[in-house]
Amino acid sequence: MFMRKIKHVVRTSSAALAGGMVVATVAACGGTSSSGTQPAASSTTGGTLTVAGELGPTTLNPETTNQALCDFEELAYEPLIVRLENGGLAPGLATSWHYAGTGNTTFVLNLRGGVRFSDGTTMTAQDVVNDFQYVVKAGGQMAPYFAGDSFAVTGPLQVTITAKTPNPDFPFLLTQDYNAGDIISPDGLKDTAALGTQTFGAGPYELDAAQTVSGSTYTYTPNPYYYDKAAVHWKKVVVKVMGSAEAVLDALKTGEVNLAEGDASTLKAAEQAGLTVTQAPLLWEGAVLADRDGKMVKALANVQVRQALNYATDRSTLVNALFAGVGTPTEQVTVPDGYGYLASLNSTYPYDPAKAKQLLAAAGYPHGFTMSMVTADYDQENLLAQALAQEWAQVGVKVNIIDDANPSAYEQAFVSGTVPSFIATYGQQPISIEGPGLFLPTAAFNPYHTASAALQSLYDQDISASGTAATALDQKVESYLVDNAWFVPVAATGIAWYATSSVTGTEVTTGAPLVELYQVEPAS
Amino acid sequence: MVRIAIRWLVSSAALLFAVTALTFVLASLAPGSAVRAVLGANTSVTPQQCAQVKHQLGLDEPLPLQYWHWLYNLLHGSLGTDLFSGQPVTAALGTRIDASLSLIVATIVVSGLADVTVGTVSAVRGGVTGRILDTLTVFGFALPSFWLALILIEVLAVRVRLFPTTGYVALDSDPGQWLRGIVLPVLTLSAGTTAAIARQTRDSMLQVFGRDFITALRSRGLPLRVIVWKHALRNAAIPVVTTLGVVFIGLLGGTVLVEQVFAIPGLGEAAVTATTNHDLAMIEGIAFYFAILVVVVNLLVDISYAVLNPKVRVAV
Repeated sequence: MFMRKIKHVVRTSSAALAGGMVVATVAACGGTSSSGTQPAASSTTGGTLTVAGELGPTTLNPETTNQALCDFEELAYEPLIVRLENGGLAPGLATSWHYAGTGNTTFVLNLRGGVRFSDGTTMTAQDVVNDFQYVVKAGGQMAPYFAGDSFAVTGPLQVTITAKTPNPDFPFLLTQDYNAGDIISPDGLKDTAALGTQTFGAGPYELDAAQTVSGSTYTYTPNPYYYDKAAVHWKKVVVKVMGSAEAVLDALKTGEVNLAEGDASTLKAAEQAGLTVTQAPLLWEGAVLADRDGKMVKALANVQVRQALNYATDRSTLVNALFAGVGTPTEQVTVPDGYGYLASLNSTYPYDPAKAKQLLAAAGYPHGFTMSMVTADYDQENLLAQALAQEWAQVGVKVNIIDDANPSAYEQAFVSGTVPSFIATYGQQPISIEGPGLFLPTAAFNPYHTASAALQSLYDQDISASGTAATALDQKVESYLVDNAWFVPVAATGIAWYATSSVTGTEVTTGAPLVELYQVEPAS
Repeated sequence: MVRIAIRWLVSSAALLFAVTALTFVLASLAPGSAVRAVLGANTSVTPQQCAQVKHQLGLDEPLPLQYWHWLYNLLHGSLGTDLFSGQPVTAALGTRIDASLSLIVATIVVSGLADVTVGTVSAVRGGVTGRILDTLTVFGFALPSFWLALILIEVLAVRVRLFPTTGYVALDSDPGQWLRGIVLPVLTLSAGTTAAIARQTRDSMLQVFGRDFITALRSRGLPLRVIVWKHALRNAAIPVVTTLGVVFIGLLGGTVLVEQVFAIPGLGEAAVTATTNHDLAMIEGIAFYFAILVVVVNLLVDISYAVLNPKVRVAV
């Protein structure tokens, strides 16, 4: 459960959408039906696995932590459903699950018997219900996805969620990629303040508080009550927070660290150092044209203007300059083979400044216009903002860049709706999850609350559909966003992982783009 | 004596008040918001949720009232609670002060011994040797600490592998690893102190060497070694000790960068994280700890005056 998360995306901001990104989840585009099978774990046991990252979490509470930094607590919390390395789903604390009836509103979970938390107490169905209720009460990132739902014990080892509105993605929301399925023990729920610095889960490891310095070094030892001891590969797992990508790379070179999350700035050096580098598509990075109603910049209300900005963007050049080796050009807010992906959408806006000028003139802005754009310093975002400003200036659009190194300030700027556009890095997600985050009127990435009846209709149909119908609706949603130019996506990128030869199990795929710490094993 | 003690207590309390109040105001004026930091990457947060979190954090109260609450809790022995982890600030900082003090004290010891020696040799030998030593001290001062840290890591940790690139091991956990872990950060911090301490030592020694009692000691045939280390250095020590005190206080700030580069879990690193997250309780706690250290160091410096110079004792 560690870095398997997509959530990781944000490591920029231990706090908020820090760094400007949101992470998402990936998981396969599979259906919602029953369970799969976890691959048999080997019983290889190593000494200490040391993992490094640039940012640390502000809390270990699975329901209030930043999803992007939940790796730090997930070693200790087993999810109800496990998302496998190939993107499929397998039993975790739940052995099977299904939607009852039609409409994706009633979701039934059958729980594993005999599961014990790290304090030795046995997990009951009521504990799971209590945990779901805490998810909503805690008000964390997962709360909106469960708000208004009801939870009930419907059998000795069965829990049923009755959703207020259709939700086809409960199975994904209950995997390690999100935190809602990380069940907390009764003791933990009794003392929620302690959840910040201690762990109360049923995962393979538990936090060793005596060897932990909050915000810097987190030490985990095996949970003696874990139900699958063969899946525990290390006597100790240490997760270190290091301040910079260079420090992480140096520690890998000297063998002080076995595994770490990398970034574009150190990718070539990592390869030259002989480290194993893996990555898979996960994020799209580009500009959000947020003021689509023209409240601050009237021009942005005109779809021709937004399309002009897309035509004025030379994605191939930008990707070669800023994301060489880690990204590919994209015009859509997903990644290749991700939710709603349509290869044909990537030829909607070929680089054509002349066409851009024509559209601007047709929209009544032959001499362009001026707008501001806020950016964070995460993952080349500030450089991308500068590059876009230069390219758009060629068609007469002047961009005043607000470069916020402080992730919290950046986030506050764009969430508050005080800047008409901003640079974002966003992880692909199932449409049902992406909507409330990215494009529905209440979404944080839609700070001017732009509403579209057509888009809302597509979304509503999508969340009630399943199978190929849902896939087709995903693509229609994506097409709507591209055709109406709500965004200027530039690159589809992934998160790079660096590993020394001392470990295996660091492979990633499009369905599972993040390394799962608990799946990392000693090489020998 | 009592009057002096009272004066010291009052001035120390005033310093603590001023530092924490100013920190409170500046931290509150900084761009960004603890509310957003607490809510994290929640992409669906509503204004009502923001308001709820703001209320829970007490950030909807007027600033003076927030500060008063902090001050009230302080007077009752509490520095508050970390906004995010829920951990008491004293506990959170208690695990970190050991690392910071290890770096600062070790740097003072290394710098004190090395720089006082260099300054003394420069004063006594003078000529080309003195100029070379003076140049070297200025060179050390001029080196950007972050650059020096990266060079030291690349050469002594990555290539030669004498020391770890990052991290910190507590002294009581493994003294050997503790020593290995602090060598590079202490070298980095020490470089920046050379000019101040060595040059102050040299200037003080030159002044003392010009005084009559040194001439008298020389005329009595005492060896130069005895004159320098037993008589001159003691008389030159007061400004040097003052400089060491100033350097110590300066190192409180210096550790912020060095702890970041070497990933050492100290107060400096915590300060950066807390500031980024707008964790006011932690920021105030760190400022309070730093202010306490400043007060203690100033007290030790004052006491050292009395030890080094009997005239001061008489005056007291």
